Amino acid sequence: MDQEEPASHDQRLVAFSPVPKEGEYMRVIKRLIDVFTLGSARPMRRLVAYYIVLAAVLSLLVYASPIVDQMFSGERLAELEQAPQLLQDGLTPDPSGARAVALSARLELAISTALICFGTLALMLPVSWVYMSTKRTPGHNQSVVQALIILPLIVAGIILIVRNSLALAFSLAGVVSVLRFRTTLTDVRDIMFIFLGIAVGFAAGVQVLLVAVLLSVVFNFVLLLTWRYDFGRNVLQPTAASRWAAPLDELAQRHNGGKVPDRDLVLALTPKKAELLTERFKRVGASLGADDKKPRYNAVLTITTNQLTDSQIQVQGALDKVARRWKLDEVVTNDGKPSQLFYLVKLRKSAAPDEMLTAIRSGAGEMVQTATLEVGDAGARETLAKKNAAKDGGDG
Amino acid sequence: MSPMAVAVLVLAILLTPIACRASNGNTTALADSAEVAQRETRLEQALASHDSSAASRAAVARWVLPEHLAEISGVTLTTDGRLLVHGDEKGQVTEIDYRRGVMVKQFTIGQPALQGDFEGITAVGDVLFLLASNGRLYEFQEGVNGERVDYAVHDTRLGRECEFEGLAFDPAIGSLLLACKSVGEKRLRDSLVIYRWRLQGGSGPRLSHLAVPLARVIGSNGWKDLHPSDITRDPATGNYVLIAAQEKALIELTPAGDVVFSGPLPESLEHTEGVAITSDSILILSDEAGHRPASISLYRWR
Repeated sequence: MDQEEPASHDQRLVAFSPVPKEGEYMRVIKRLIDVFTLGSARPMRRLVAYYIVLAAVLSLLVYASPIVDQMFSGERLAELEQAPQLLQDGLTPDPSGARAVALSARLELAISTALICFGTLALMLPVSWVYMSTKRTPGHNQSVVQALIILPLIVAGIILIVRNSLALAFSLAGVVSVLRFRTTLTDVRDIMFIFLGIAVGFAAGVQVLLVAVLLSVVFNFVLLLTWRYDFGRNVLQPTAASRWAAPLDELAQRHNGGKVPDRDLVLALTPKKAELLTERFKRVGASLGADDKKPRYNAVLTITTNQLTDSQIQVQGALDKVARRWKLDEVVTNDGKPSQLFYLVKLRKSAAPDEMLTAIRSGAGEMVQTATLEVGDAGARETLAKKNAAKDGGDG
Repeated sequence: MSPMAVAVLVLAILLTPIACRASNGNTTALADSAEVAQRETRLEQALASHDSSAASRAAVARWVLPEHLAEISGVTLTTDGRLLVHGDEKGQVTEIDYRRGVMVKQFTIGQPALQGDFEGITAVGDVLFLLASNGRLYEFQEGVNGERVDYAVHDTRLGRECEFEGLAFDPAIGSLLLACKSVGEKRLRDSLVIYRWRLQGGSGPRLSHLAVPLARVIGSNGWKDLHPSDITRDPATGNYVLIAAQEKALIELTPAGDVVFSGPLPESLEHTEGVAITSDSILILSDEAGHRPASISLYRWR
């Protein structure tokens, strides 16, 4: 189960460029996004590249147009409280030219509204990518993705209209109360994204795009970091061994006392699936060792690291010291996240799991980002069952 | 590169243009101070150089006002010669350095801001009065930049008799002058009416009026009627100077009602709503936004 997780990460990385297979126009958009994001598949790099390009465009706009500068700096919000302010000379044209351009109120409103719309879009696009990339469960809600793009535009529009008018605000509340927007979002993170969308829309609406930019940047990077380091993972989450123990026990019972009879398996499986399962179980059997003996391995050690080779040397050195035996089962490399090493381990009777982790930590140091040890108890449970059966036989 | 470094890098990249703009703003401030000095010099030269009657019809300076003053409705000079202006609907007063074209400060009347149909403003010592078209007077102190000041309301109860559009103060009689745009009283309809509202002290009725027959005021100008939009007092002569936006008229009356001057406003003005005269004889006219943005224009008065 744990080994399947990196594969799903890779799938999510593909989703970072939100392009379905079909549709020529979507391919064009993908190429365009690739140009902006320098074609990198790593989320952090793509995000950095995107914001660099955005900063460049922004700089040009800020220098070219005083309207953009005002919107970005929040001057509009503060209006005229930042006195003194030089008034335009009505008789002598301004030598710089910029201030002499007296835009009509309508044109200025049209330009600022368009800037707010495109600015909001530009800031929410990377948020939607991050949403799609960092979804914990496979797949994502397309409605939420579209809402992330469209909702801030609507919020910004509403704020633009309402501005400081208390009457309009009350009217808006009245109109909105007629409609019902209730929906159930299954993931708390979805709500968080929606709130961000509202916040960005709000900031854009009151023409303080600087706040919107910072919200977008900080939110995206914090989210990517928490995703990358799996921040907040519950250590009490059930391990693979505990989750699979009961159903596998049912299947492994030699007699018909199990809840899953062979007849049901015959009906459920095709020859090909049965063959695949056989191969898998043979491989697991080979790892566990011969029948009527204790399993050769009773724990799985998972190492995450950015320095694969060096960490491998250090970890294996530590394992030689503290494990009775060990075997490197799989190495999984991930784009944008640390690589993972999976070891099958037989613990020494005298060695506690904590001692093993301490030995690895002290040997590999900061090369290893996380080290987790899952200890199976299948052997112990089987021994206990045998003892109980013998005791029952003796009693009888 | 660590993720934290990447995040810092991105923030730095995004904030660089803003920082550059801020430093550029300092440069702009320096450029502004130079521009302000040039403006002052230009105004002094313009005031000193031309003295013919033709030249006196040309503005010596004009400052374009920002959007929130598009409906500039009244102007006045404080006792120390600073220009205060206000808009039509919101109780917000702005100080403008008329010599240099700089908006100095802005303060708001009331919390929340006073709303109404404001038509004129005048200063009486340290106190300011704002006039609504229904004859209500709002009394308040001048505030600092961004301040919200308290106010008191005085109802002249002249809302039925008159639709007011202009306010001034005559220190000689200690009274506010309220210029009537549309006269409600039948017997005064053919007159230019200015109500006088004594502030305090004195004997006799608090309210009086000056009515000048329109025919005398209009003279040979060809106006069918006259709707004054503001009034001020010439500090040099004590005469009342009125403007009418609709007729584009400029009128000067003595306090006794004799017509000193009656003629058209400068042609370059579209909808003049405010008038003030400085102690050094500069006529300040404020123009509402129309085809052009709102502005205040300076002319030589004497």
